[in-house]
Amino acid sequence: MLAIVNGKVMPVSGEPIEGGAILIRDGKIAAVGKDLKIPSEARVIDADGRPVTPGIIEAHVHIGLGEAGIGWAGADVNESSDPVTAYARAIDGLNPLDTAFDEFRAAGITCANVVPGSGNIIGGTGLAIKCQGTIVDDMVVKNPTGMKAALGENPKGSYGRRNKLPSTRMGSAAVMRETLFKAREYLKKKEKAEGEDDVSKLPKHDKNLEALLPVLRGEIPLHIHCHRADDITTAVRLCREFEVPFVLEHVTEANHIIDLLKGADTHLAIGPTMHYGSKVENRERDFRTPVEVARAGIPFCLITDHPVLHGKYLTMSAGLAVTWGMDYDLALRSVTLSAAEHVGIADRVGSLEVGKDADIVIWSGDPLDYITFADYTIIDGEVAYQREVE
Amino acid sequence: MKNISTKVFKGATIYPVDGPKIEDGVMIVEGGKIKAIGSAKDVEIPAVEAPGGNGGEAVEVIDISGKVILPGFVDAHSHVGVWGDGEGSAGYDGNEMGNPIAAKVSALDATNPEQVSFAGAREGGITSLQIIPGSGNPVGGLAFACKTAGTIIDDMVIKNPTGLKGALGENPKRAYGQFFKKAPMTRMGTAGVIRDYFYQVKEYMAQKEAAEVKAAADADEKANDAQARAGETEANGNGGNGAASGPDYNPGLEAGALVMKGEIPFRVHAHRYDDIITAVRICEEFDIPFSIEHCTTGFKVAQFLGERGVFAHVGPGLFSRGKQELADADERNPALLDAAGVKVCLITDHPFLDSRYLLPYAAVAHKHGMPLDRVLRALTLNPAESLGIDDRVGSLAPGKDADFVIMSGEPFTYTSVILSTHIEGEEVYTRPTI
Repeated sequence: MLAIVNGKVMPVSGEPIEGGAILIRDGKIAAVGKDLKIPSEARVIDADGRPVTPGIIEAHVHIGLGEAGIGWAGADVNESSDPVTAYARAIDGLNPLDTAFDEFRAAGITCANVVPGSGNIIGGTGLAIKCQGTIVDDMVVKNPTGMKAALGENPKGSYGRRNKLPSTRMGSAAVMRETLFKAREYLKKKEKAEGEDDVSKLPKHDKNLEALLPVLRGEIPLHIHCHRADDITTAVRLCREFEVPFVLEHVTEANHIIDLLKGADTHLAIGPTMHYGSKVENRERDFRTPVEVARAGIPFCLITDHPVLHGKYLTMSAGLAVTWGMDYDLALRSVTLSAAEHVGIADRVGSLEVGKDADIVIWSGDPLDYITFADYTIIDGEVAYQREVE
Repeated sequence: MKNISTKVFKGATIYPVDGPKIEDGVMIVEGGKIKAIGSAKDVEIPAVEAPGGNGGEAVEVIDISGKVILPGFVDAHSHVGVWGDGEGSAGYDGNEMGNPIAAKVSALDATNPEQVSFAGAREGGITSLQIIPGSGNPVGGLAFACKTAGTIIDDMVIKNPTGLKGALGENPKRAYGQFFKKAPMTRMGTAGVIRDYFYQVKEYMAQKEAAEVKAAADADEKANDAQARAGETEANGNGGNGAASGPDYNPGLEAGALVMKGEIPFRVHAHRYDDIITAVRICEEFDIPFSIEHCTTGFKVAQFLGERGVFAHVGPGLFSRGKQELADADERNPALLDAAGVKVCLITDHPFLDSRYLLPYAAVAHKHGMPLDRVLRALTLNPAESLGIDDRVGSLAPGKDADFVIMSGEPFTYTSVILSTHIEGEEVYTRPTI
């Protein structure tokens, strides 16, 4: 049993509590409030007035797939052998000993949605994990969280260079449409065979179409990489055609099509805004996008796309968004509860509420200030990181 | 119409960098230069001419009480304007690949002042920068220093050239060994290519010098002959063959000669500390001035570098460890190098850190133990000295260019933002409202 006392508790789901306390039992939050009775057997951490927030959540990263400080040998982000690799699973390429996990914990990051890259039209499934452990299967919060897909420059660059389909945006949309169409047919055949209880009518097993069934059934969303406004529009068009759930990743030019996105029943993962203009499609990266999306009331979170921008700068991004006009509480939410909602794990993490996982950070100061340290990072009720003060 | 020739900024906290912080400061800007700077009690504010006067010279007094003035930042290592930021391959001109010695190229010839990255630099408070070729070649070409506002790059130049780019470590051996399948394929090969280049430079210089000595001697002889045969007609043309016997003009070796003569430093890309040591070894062998570019794990040999008073262009900040040579990167690096006496310059290496975010990078250096005044120096005067442009920029002092940023409050906390950037007295960036 662990108790954090005397903190400025910022639950994200509710109002801050000055002099607040959190009681943790069996890795879960047992109580949050002002005048909690602390059992004598509890280990007590005195927050001494410092801010206490939910653990930071990265909704879109490649940690463990694109490993730090290794280069080619540790690069497992894109299975670039075919534009459709729906069968690929991030869990099978994820190295929990990527040294970036140490830095994540030191930056107060407790949970990450690890997704395949954007080189393929359909890239494979991502999963949400805790940022602590050595066996990935034991770290899973949810697997799969979604099916990665991509439009825009990356897939057409990757395949076009090899004179293969897709070499244009038209080709990219066609590959995605054809794949979803086949998956729908495959699903119908399977349902028919199962309905008639006739295994002879089952379609021949197809590793990609099989992997897409949860998307067609509406169980997991497509996580679609799209920067430019026209690519975002194409993503919405395709998903409406097939009536599949979807969330949108990066959305650099979302501010150009606010009305479309307001009515799209989706969730945006915006970023990495601090990344450089490596491509034409992210030329307009700017805090204008998250600020205007926030004002329009469209649900969103902020992302780093680690290692594209190192995950430890997610809170810095949120702080900069505040300086450009984003509401502070919304900015903090965008790297905690909103990120959890984007990934579909808000039942377990993202806010300080009774029953949720005890993923908690005690900060040296304002959590969104870039000079602030995470003093304690707690994952599932255990201190996963504690800063050494020199 | 009034012709505002003098601007007075008053009420601000000023960090001149080459002197102590000034509270309730006054800075007078005239003709693009700083005319006077100091506290309100020491600097007399000139009288503002009454409106409707004779329309001549006028003074504008701008009250910025509560704001903070810093010198414009000097980014000692940037690829602004040459890397095709947001343009893809069409705008990319960072590395002239194909020959590992690309000494004859100059970044000046590829820099596009209308590139969006220049606007980003102004937004980030950067008023001067060194634009330098990339690190694909062991010898990559000439760098130059310029201001960040303008249309014609030649008009923006502060100094050209400011250095010759060199590179060690993964980049050149990957480009040549893996891509072109030729030397250099290893770190040994890269060092060998660089050494060979400087031997050629020395040989070239010696041949030139010998030819000049011979030409001078021939000229003397001819003059003596001419005296002796006064009145006779010259039959064999003039000038003899002294100058013609020198080496053929070689722009790549000319660039190296500038380094060898000590006029510009060799600016060596080196991340891993052993590459840094190799850079020092080679430069000391040839007795040439140098700076270390990136210096990522320099903290491991901080004392070695500090004893030599090395200029280290440290950065880009806020990056991921995408290569093996970055594996041991540590955010305490600038603080540890500075404490050991290394002359630290914080760089963006734009686009690798977007120029807009130099200040957050500096804040992170401060967060990890670098004192505020040292961080400010690493953003301004140190890089100006490294580039040899500190007579004009890098601190706020009378006679220097009026290059400065106005911040909403004290650095380094995120709520203090850059409100405007000024170059030679002109406001070149104004923070927009979203």
